[in-house]
Amino acid sequence: MREEAYLGVDVGSISTKGVVIDGDNHILASAYIWTEGDPIGAVKRLIADLDGQFDHDRWAIRATGTTGSARKLVGAVLGATVVKNEITAHAVGTTTFHPDVRTILEIGGQDSKIILLENGIAIDYAMNTLCAAGTGAFLSSQSRRLGIPVEDMGAVALKSAHPTHIAARCTVFAESDLVHKIQVGHTKEDIVAGLCQAVVGNYLNNVGKGKRIREPIVFQGGVSKNIGVVKAFEKALGEPVIVDDNGHLMGAIGAAILARGGEARADFNFDIEDIAFVTREVVCGRCPNRCEIICVYRDGQLIDSWGNRCENGEITVRQAQKHHA
Amino acid sequence: MARPQTLTVGMPRALLYHRYAVLWQTYFDALGIATVVSEETNREIAEGGIAAATDEMCLSLKVYLGHVAALIGKCDRIFIPRIVDFGIRRVMCTTFEGLPDIAANIFRDRHIDILSCNISVQGGIDEKAGMVQMGRELGYSKKEAKRAYKRALVAQRAADEAAAAAAEHLYQSRGLKIAVGAHAYVMDDDYYGRPVLDYLSEMGVTAIPAYAVDRREARKVTKRLSPTMKWEVSREIAGSLAMHLDDVDGIILMSVYPCALDSMVNDMLVRKFRDSGVPMMHLTMDAQSGTAGLETRLESFIDILSMRRTGKAVKA
Repeated sequence: MREEAYLGVDVGSISTKGVVIDGDNHILASAYIWTEGDPIGAVKRLIADLDGQFDHDRWAIRATGTTGSARKLVGAVLGATVVKNEITAHAVGTTTFHPDVRTILEIGGQDSKIILLENGIAIDYAMNTLCAAGTGAFLSSQSRRLGIPVEDMGAVALKSAHPTHIAARCTVFAESDLVHKIQVGHTKEDIVAGLCQAVVGNYLNNVGKGKRIREPIVFQGGVSKNIGVVKAFEKALGEPVIVDDNGHLMGAIGAAILARGGEARADFNFDIEDIAFVTREVVCGRCPNRCEIICVYRDGQLIDSWGNRCENGEITVRQAQKHHA
Repeated sequence: MARPQTLTVGMPRALLYHRYAVLWQTYFDALGIATVVSEETNREIAEGGIAAATDEMCLSLKVYLGHVAALIGKCDRIFIPRIVDFGIRRVMCTTFEGLPDIAANIFRDRHIDILSCNISVQGGIDEKAGMVQMGRELGYSKKEAKRAYKRALVAQRAADEAAAAAAEHLYQSRGLKIAVGAHAYVMDDDYYGRPVLDYLSEMGVTAIPAYAVDRREARKVTKRLSPTMKWEVSREIAGSLAMHLDDVDGIILMSVYPCALDSMVNDMLVRKFRDSGVPMMHLTMDAQSGTAGLETRLESFIDILSMRRTGKAVKA
């Protein structure tokens, strides 16, 4: 009898993360790759990567959890037993490793969030609304403009003694302000440091507005890998900010823990690499709402669909088969 | 006096229709005027409104214009009242002050015949005077118009009282309860607000409209929160939320983008209610957003509320 293991997958707009954990939260395998606008392709590469990392004779994956903005799609592809939003997954993952955490700051590719906790229980949260200013997408577009790889921005920022003030309320304005600052002669170091401060200022004024930020503070999401932003947070908050080595995996770990805690069990096998998954958008014409319904096919068979506002747009597996025949 | 017997009045099912449906319908019925109400908002209506409107208008006004467009050709006149205020510090959003003019200008090439009435207590015309005057302009006697208004008022009051009583009943129910602070025209809109309410009920949450409340009492309570807040409907909603803080697990503040009133009032509410510890969430609807972000926000908010209630981390 093989021992039980659990798979957690977190598919975000920019990166795709996966872990395999055992019953005691030990990480048996982990991977972090770019989504590159293709969540299904990314998940296949992720699974192939995880596949080679742990001993299949000893461990069997008995439950799978998915999270992140593509959680539904990837949940259908992987046959997940749990599909959970990334806020809950992050809270569960982080409190497992930092039981006393009271504030989680999270800045990802297009979302930023704050989660407040008390005694390991999330009590309040907020998420950016309407725009992605100050998120990873903002930093990577500015890094391209400056010709500095996004991975190096943190180190560059630390060299600055006088960070340039950059108006970062809106990505479009920030960009023109940035161009102006370059043209009048600010150094790249100062500008990058200014960008890091702008990200923090924007975050605290939007997502963090009105929230009591108390330590211990854990900072995660892709942007937490940028030491310049970490330092800017510490300066603005006047408190130490913890960045976990596995911070980028917390969503995936949370999803795996949620799958473990759930009742459903489904053996996961790694054969999805050879299966063709196709998604198709169908516009329902049964009423003026014209819902865009997403259908997911596994080797030509419909396995799931969503996006309909009412039962008129329900596409059942049976209907699809009839249509196919 | 000649009576326009064959007149059909169209009512856009948007904005204040969600507040005054009974009043307006009963009034026209009592006068024997045929009415037609535009159907529930759907994508076609919403997109039509967004296309007709200017960028700076709030989403609800855009939707309203879609409803006006949907009524063109289906009625003789379109009822678009001008509702300014109900007294000092009891004013409506300026949108409602300009509504007939906005619609007339937006649809100036389509020659719509707008039926309006003016209501401004500070301007010397209360609701009764405004609606009686409209009846007289339609060719009815003062007595007939007064009788119609009286019947309409009784019916609207009964409906409001029933709604408030139903809400009070919901505050006493078991299970997770969320008070929704939103204008009726946001919350009750079939295309924008309804999916949120449907999702909440799917998750087993009881959503209670804050606007369904004893309005006089709610306005009084708001005075303690902010002595200077001047918007009639915002005062009702803010007061209602304050009255029921202890009865709910959480509060969702749902607004359309951009809403000047909500941007100020909701920000104040977050600060005023912070010590109560009741989690609050903002949901902003704009013309672009899909439902994916909405589900993530709602699901995680409900997770947090259930964790607080049970004191345990959430189970899948």
